[in-house]
Amino acid sequence: MTQENISGASPSLSRLVQELNRLPGIGPKSAQRLAYYIIRLPDDDAYALADAVTSVKQNIVFCEECQNLTDASPCQVCSNPDRDRTTICVVEDPLDVLAMERTRSYRGLYHVLHGVISPINGIGPDQLKLKELFNRLTRDDVAEMVVATNPTLEGEATAMYIRRHQSRDNIKITHLARGLPVGGSLEYTDETTLTRAFQGRQEI
Amino acid sequence: MAPPKTYRCEGIILSYKPLGEADLLVTMFTRYQGKVHAVGKGARRSTSKLMGHLEPLTAVNLSLAHGRSMDIISQAEVINSFSTLKEDLTGITKGQYLAEMVDGFGAESSPNPSLFQLMVDTLRVIEAAPESEMALRYFEYHLLQVSGLMPELYHCVECREELEPDAHRFSPNVGGTLCLACSPEDAHLRPLSLRALKVLRLLDRSQLAEACKLSINGTLSNELKSLLSTTVSYWLGKEIRSNSFLEHLRNETPPEVYI
Repeated sequence: MTQENISGASPSLSRLVQELNRLPGIGPKSAQRLAYYIIRLPDDDAYALADAVTSVKQNIVFCEECQNLTDASPCQVCSNPDRDRTTICVVEDPLDVLAMERTRSYRGLYHVLHGVISPINGIGPDQLKLKELFNRLTRDDVAEMVVATNPTLEGEATAMYIRRHQSRDNIKITHLARGLPVGGSLEYTDETTLTRAFQGRQEI
Repeated sequence: MAPPKTYRCEGIILSYKPLGEADLLVTMFTRYQGKVHAVGKGARRSTSKLMGHLEPLTAVNLSLAHGRSMDIISQAEVINSFSTLKEDLTGITKGQYLAEMVDGFGAESSPNPSLFQLMVDTLRVIEAAPESEMALRYFEYHLLQVSGLMPELYHCVECREELEPDAHRFSPNVGGTLCLACSPEDAHLRPLSLRALKVLRLLDRSQLAEACKLSINGTLSNELKSLLSTTVSYWLGKEIRSNSFLEHLRNETPPEVYI
């Protein structure tokens, strides 16, 4: 039940609850709690929140190179002369770029697909930034493409589609290693992961 | 006596979607409980003991606890991950096509062990031969059969006369095949060639492995594909979304792969 159904609720409060309710993972009760929290915020904090939402919608664009979300195109990574321009790491979402950057071990460029092929949800190759990726591979001097889609069914399907449809013959295509996570447990690891971990074992 | 708080079941994961910070909302089709929606708490964390066990198109043994609104997955053990099937793009897409149909036809608290077994058997066949189209046709036909929607193939559904060995017409709306003499007003009516009728009858009376040995030409294959997927969509009341990507893969000629 949303605030709209509660008699006596203010229309502007109902509207805020309805809008918050549309966010992923926010149910009607959480939306109500957040709405009342916003009402109790100092004016400056509430306006800063509203301004941040407006600003992000007005200023964020796709980087013309990597398709990541950025304030100015090309983005900071693509315009950095110190990055290795011969390696492209293909990721599903902008959040994956942040995760990779946190490692500080990758110095190449990125390409953000903004999703994965998901036939069951009606998402095909045309809904992703695949055409832009294939154009980049044809145009730029790329020596290696690291396909870093998630090791899920749809992530793997997308990786297979990319491998099948890229037309360069002098490019190395890799994907991230599969195996055991740090802090994981062999006992609870599924057979596929354990098999791949075994296949990718390394000398110590 | 109070009902038990936990239960075990054997199921196939059909799909999942993220829920909250790190949970998964999993849809599965189980052998004896029908379709079940359950929550995998923390299943998206890399160190979760559920991780890897809840991937779509995986047959699993599960322990579930009854929750207030949704059951909670407490343990999962993989029976068959269909790992070879998942190494092929066509195999994955065909598997998802099956999962979408089972999701549409399967109902919660409505066990259908025959449908469960049909899905497991068909996934095994696709895993062994991802290019096999007959496996999909067999699945579509028997999906209708085990769901109580088997089309009539031996008598005209209007006049009940036995069908002559000739071309006929077919409509899911009236429940199957019509002789040429009967012509009800029906927007779903379509021609049915004698050869297609014979293949449908073969699907009706043969086992999966036997049906998959049949090799049919492109025209006949397209007629059966269109007829059965249209019939399944008719009963589902919506298009099967994975079908368009499957068609995309069928129509393309992939370039050579260089690794």
